[in-house]
Amino acid sequence: MVELIQSLASGVLLGLLYGIVALSFVVIFRASRVVNLAQGEVVMIGAFLAWMASSSFGLPLYLAVPAALVMAACFGLMIERFVFRPLTGQPIFSIVMASIGLIILLRGATMVIWGPSTRPFPQVFPLGAVEVGPILLNTTLLIGGVITIACAEGLNWFFMRTDAGLRLAAVAEDHTTALSMGISVRKSAIIAWVLGTTLATMAAIIMLSGSVLGVTAAEIGFRALPVALLGGLESVRGAVIAGVIVGMAEALASTYLDPLTNGALSQIFPFILIILVLLIRPQGLFGWKILERI
Amino acid sequence: MLPSGVIFKKYSGEEAYLVTRPQKLVFALFIVALFLFPMVSSTYLLGTVSFMFITMIAVLGLQITVGMAGQINLGQSAFVGVGAYVTAAMAVNYELPFYVAIPIGGLAAGLTSILFGLPAARIKGFYLALTTVAAQVMFPLAISRLPRSWFGGPNGMSMPSMELFGYEIWGQQGIYLINLCFLIVFATLTFNLQRSRTGRAFIAIRENDVVAPVMGINLVKYKILAFFAGAVFAGISGGLYAYYVTYVTAEQFTLWLSVIYLGMLLIGGMTSPLGAIFGVIIITLLQETTHDIGGFLSDRISFLDESVIFPATNIVLGAVIIAVLIFEPNGMVRRWRIAKAAYRIWPKPHG
Repeated sequence: MVELIQSLASGVLLGLLYGIVALSFVVIFRASRVVNLAQGEVVMIGAFLAWMASSSFGLPLYLAVPAALVMAACFGLMIERFVFRPLTGQPIFSIVMASIGLIILLRGATMVIWGPSTRPFPQVFPLGAVEVGPILLNTTLLIGGVITIACAEGLNWFFMRTDAGLRLAAVAEDHTTALSMGISVRKSAIIAWVLGTTLATMAAIIMLSGSVLGVTAAEIGFRALPVALLGGLESVRGAVIAGVIVGMAEALASTYLDPLTNGALSQIFPFILIILVLLIRPQGLFGWKILERI
Repeated sequence: MLPSGVIFKKYSGEEAYLVTRPQKLVFALFIVALFLFPMVSSTYLLGTVSFMFITMIAVLGLQITVGMAGQINLGQSAFVGVGAYVTAAMAVNYELPFYVAIPIGGLAAGLTSILFGLPAARIKGFYLALTTVAAQVMFPLAISRLPRSWFGGPNGMSMPSMELFGYEIWGQQGIYLINLCFLIVFATLTFNLQRSRTGRAFIAIRENDVVAPVMGINLVKYKILAFFAGAVFAGISGGLYAYYVTYVTAEQFTLWLSVIYLGMLLIGGMTSPLGAIFGVIIITLLQETTHDIGGFLSDRISFLDESVIFPATNIVLGAVIIAVLIFEPNGMVRRWRIAKAAYRIWPKPHG
């Protein structure tokens, strides 16, 4: 019983980490309808920016983290300005294809600027574990989970209650209609990319705190993309809930099924689960069901 | 844009790729030149071109799935891997000749892709990217966990050499000719598919998958067919790759390679099979030249070494893909057509 609860609890915490990366997919999608396939590389760049702020510039952590987030926001502005703004008005398919180019470009740039070697990432959150009865919870992931939930609630409020957030929703619905109602599509795209890259950097800090940083950090992108799809690409809260579901499924599979299959199923099981759910609800658990007209 | 005096009496004439006699003659000479190429080429160049042919088959398959039918596929290299492994298993465990083993590999890749294409019955658009990423994640895990007697487990498999009518095919020359023959067959298939009933159905789905079923196209059937066709090409490419590198391991078929395949297709132009061929040529040239320039610079400038040059190639590649999408979304194929038209109407550009 303790083993079950323990694995579920660790699964939830890991799931919340997927959730914050999925969240960064969602905020970009909500305002530009672009599935940024290079989001994993954005997380990686965010991690290197955070490492640079604390190790290269020698800033103390309470300054390094905000500095990293600001640099990440500038990075988001650059991506928007030089890659996606010139593509405004093109079919969504070719815009998503541009993110394929971005994957290759960002990987290459990281390798040239920071090199292929791994390096220790600064200890941002305290190490160790919190004891709740017989269960141990990883402190870093616990703090990260709280940040994730706070971000999700904040973003949910922003998208549902504020004027600017509703504008983003209108832009996501249809660029031309939004423009004709006096909403700036360009401004929405800027907001989306700045939010997307800062969230990705936050995710990178939670994921790597006290751990090792290398180009493999980018792999979280394609692990979190299915999570975003499960939650529904339009739903902010859905991303976090889907993260928790996938995290729990993965934890359960790794505790109970991996001994039988030599450790392969925990990585495959989330995909099977998500594909089954999408077969029943093709728009994801909380995505918008879009009516299509000819 | 055709020379003046060409009049079509039938629709089939208008569909033809080669219309006039000089066009046919030049094309025939080009094919003959490709077959004679090993006689003049150095071994290194021959190996590069040979490898290009293998990549072209995989990218032609991607052109069918992504370019023709508009279904995103981020798992092409997993299907290449399935083809390579099944071909290797057929050649090693059952001692089948390559001309049997490679088609079986292609078919196996195709059947695997149906498994991942089936969700297309319900899932649309980018949600489908998920199943192809799943294929890419599952492939190395499955290969290393399957019984060692099937696919060699985590160690990979070593390939025998090709044999044709009792003669062993060896050296770059033989492999080049085999690859060329396969490429010609599969390029012809792709070009013909584009103007067939199935190809037109694919294009209709790409253009609008709400309208296509209204026109009487069976959406699920054709989506799965597009996956199947693309993966068969990948499997064939994988089989040839296995014979080319003589050793297969699961680490050779990464998500990264799938991304590069897509990049090749984008640069060449998604909507035409010619785009796939152009894309592979352009990217191979790009990689070779940056390596050469990098090698030249690293001899002279001390802080440049291998660890900088290879990633620098990727920076150029990524930037080129984005630039092509921004400035010429139809890829280099459109530039090629413009150049051809300009050549034909020269010296009177206004007709």
